[in-house]
Amino acid sequence: MNLSVQQFRTKAEQELLDLYTKAEKTLPGAGNPFVADLREKALATYARLGLPHRRIEAWKYTDLRAHLEDVYPLATPRGAAIGANELEAALGKAIADFSAYRLVIVEGELRDDLSDISALKDAGAVIVSLAEALESPPEWLKQTLSKAGPREDDAVFALNTALMTGGVILRLPKGLTLDKPIHLIHLDGTGDPATMVTRNVIMAEEGASATVLESYGGLGMTGLQRNAVTEIEIGDKAAIHHIKFQREAVETTHLGIWLATIGADARYDAFQVSTGALLGRNQIYVGFDGEGSSTDVSGACLMRGRQHSDTTLVVEHRVPSCVSRELFKVVLDDHARGIFQGKVIVAPDAQKTDGKQMANALLLSETAEFDSKPELEIFADDVVCGHGATSGQMDEDLLFYLESRGLPEAEARAMLIQAFVGETFECVDNEALREAFAGVSADWLGVQVE
Amino acid sequence: MLEIKNLHANVDGREILKGLDLTLPTGEVHAIMGPNGSGKSTLAYVLAGKDDYEVTEGSITWNGVDVLALAPSDRAAAGVFLAFQYPMEIPGVATMTFLRSSVNAVRKARGQEELSTPDFLRLVKEKAKTLNIDTEMLRRPLNVGFSGGEKKRNEILQMTLLEPSLCVLDETDSGLDIDALRVVADGVNALRSPERSMLVITHYQRLLDYIVPDRVHVLSDGRVARSGGPELALELEKSGYAGFGDEATAA
Ligand SMILES: Nc1ncnc2c1ncn2[C@@H]1O[C@H](COP(=O)(O)OP(=O)(O)OP(=O)(O)O)[C@@H](O)[C@H]1O
Ligand SMILES: [Mg+2]
Repeated sequence: MNLSVQQFRTKAEQELLDLYTKAEKTLPGAGNPFVADLREKALATYARLGLPHRRIEAWKYTDLRAHLEDVYPLATPRGAAIGANELEAALGKAIADFSAYRLVIVEGELRDDLSDISALKDAGAVIVSLAEALESPPEWLKQTLSKAGPREDDAVFALNTALMTGGVILRLPKGLTLDKPIHLIHLDGTGDPATMVTRNVIMAEEGASATVLESYGGLGMTGLQRNAVTEIEIGDKAAIHHIKFQREAVETTHLGIWLATIGADARYDAFQVSTGALLGRNQIYVGFDGEGSSTDVSGACLMRGRQHSDTTLVVEHRVPSCVSRELFKVVLDDHARGIFQGKVIVAPDAQKTDGKQMANALLLSETAEFDSKPELEIFADDVVCGHGATSGQMDEDLLFYLESRGLPEAEARAMLIQAFVGETFECVDNEALREAFAGVSADWLGVQVE
Repeated sequence: MLEIKNLHANVDGREILKGLDLTLPTGEVHAIMGPNGSGKSTLAYVLAGKDDYEVTEGSITWNGVDVLALAPSDRAAAGVFLAFQYPMEIPGVATMTFLRSSVNAVRKARGQEELSTPDFLRLVKEKAKTLNIDTEMLRRPLNVGFSGGEKKRNEILQMTLLEPSLCVLDETDSGLDIDALRVVADGVNALRSPERSMLVITHYQRLLDYIVPDRVHVLSDGRVARSGGPELALELEKSGYAGFGDEATAA
């Protein structure tokens, strides 16, 4: 039996195909033969694979096919008025106030009026909206969009390519060091339930360095099905801190993919914090293409109610002498479910690889559930690799220690939860962001931090 | 005044305290000695309100207040402080943040005004200095990577900051070098006052040379087996617990 051959289609699977058929002529880059061909091929890949389900090993814990019953229409920009209040409502104060070059994408549209596009251009970056870039993509972008990899066997990725409508293309020219982080803000949910498909492409040329924060928030309480891919190429000697913050409404289905490739002597630090969405799946693919590089992929997620959050990452050591570190912390309350799947692949000649991963879950209720699946596929012999996962309840002895010092129980619990997730925040080198994330976890806990 | 009457307590279904009686008048310092496993730490935990220590019989009152009816944080507010035999390490909680939260929580519960950050910092610096604590240490996560002695000094710092009226010190001397013992004892003695009572749990006379107790109680198999003046500790130093019958020597 070949599971990758679709036998029948669910309603949602068919509706996704219909979305494409309906929008084909109006999708950005429709008149461009390269783009049209790219989309057609991606659609064919999706049609072949169907939506991922639990009998596909990588989707064992997240049965997207079962979850997705109806597919919402593609979102259309409505030019919603966005002010400081809307931003704060969608992202929380700490992140909304984060000082950065802002690029605000509302319902797929890169909003000139809300973004610091000219300031970012003045600082030396090259920035263009996805829609504009697809009208006539430059050669480098074509190459990036056609690279081999998960786009060929990942149905979510394929759907993204077929339907991508919003996003930004950002190039950091050789040697550019930005004086401020870039904050890519994705806001949706002003109108009826919608499907939102965005693609960001970031190209950091040799020696460039920057901090890029992507945040995802909902403006209303309407349903949202989001498929958000960011591709990032890190050139030789470049250093990128890539951070994601997802705080969408609990009706949201959030499918996120980051695909990063790293050149030689470069550094890529990825960090993700999620508190929103009913079903969230974050896939992170990191591949080393040059020697002497390192990556730190970390994150925290805080879930309650019936939220489901899945982090699946694949780190591929394709060349020797690279270092990878992963640390994920998951806090689960009520009936929430958390999943961490981490795979480290070490190619036959990737000697001197150093790869370690760790996932820790803190369960705040009897009904919360955490599943982890670490995998090591090692084909080289001179490597240091390791992984671990723990899952446990709050340490009552620590709690008692704090309470015996006068902290009321709720406050003591909050302090320990903060401490638990806080360890991952240390992976964020930007101090303002680190503090913002402390604020995010406090926000989630509903406590005041000093 | 602390009054413990016929106290029975279980841990994991096993009776550890078996009818303990103890009276500690306000302003006095009493030492508690006794063999390993006799229930000294259990008594300390029961006083502070640890969850898994189940009181099955008896009562504890502190200045007339029913201690057993209070949550641990309320006991702290009511003036009970336990310096732990094994202070907890809490990664991710900055010592300074913890100290400030703790001090302000207790002040709030006592109806006092919370301390402003500068006032708090000034207070901590001053108290840390008298205990020979490097303020650099207070920037680290709570007790993480602290040496045994540093942890104990940190306990006394907390005790000083929280201004309790009932201090329970569980083997605060263990793990301290001779100089640190002196510093800690000075810190404890500085807190001695007519309004404050202390229970000092220890195995060694050495601590009692510095913190001279008003009375000494010997715990054996979950009960007070003998009580006496400071000379009782000296006697124990010489002859051990051999004179306390089977119960004590077997423990
Ligand atoms: N959590 C627990 N679970 C099971 N038994 C316990 C627990 N805590 C204490 N005990 C038992 O209770 C008894 C008394 O212990 P406790 O710690 O009070 O003794 P102690 O007098 O403080 O001894 P030490 O001088 O060694 O500190 C011991 O037999 C110990 O094993
Ligand atoms: Mg003890």
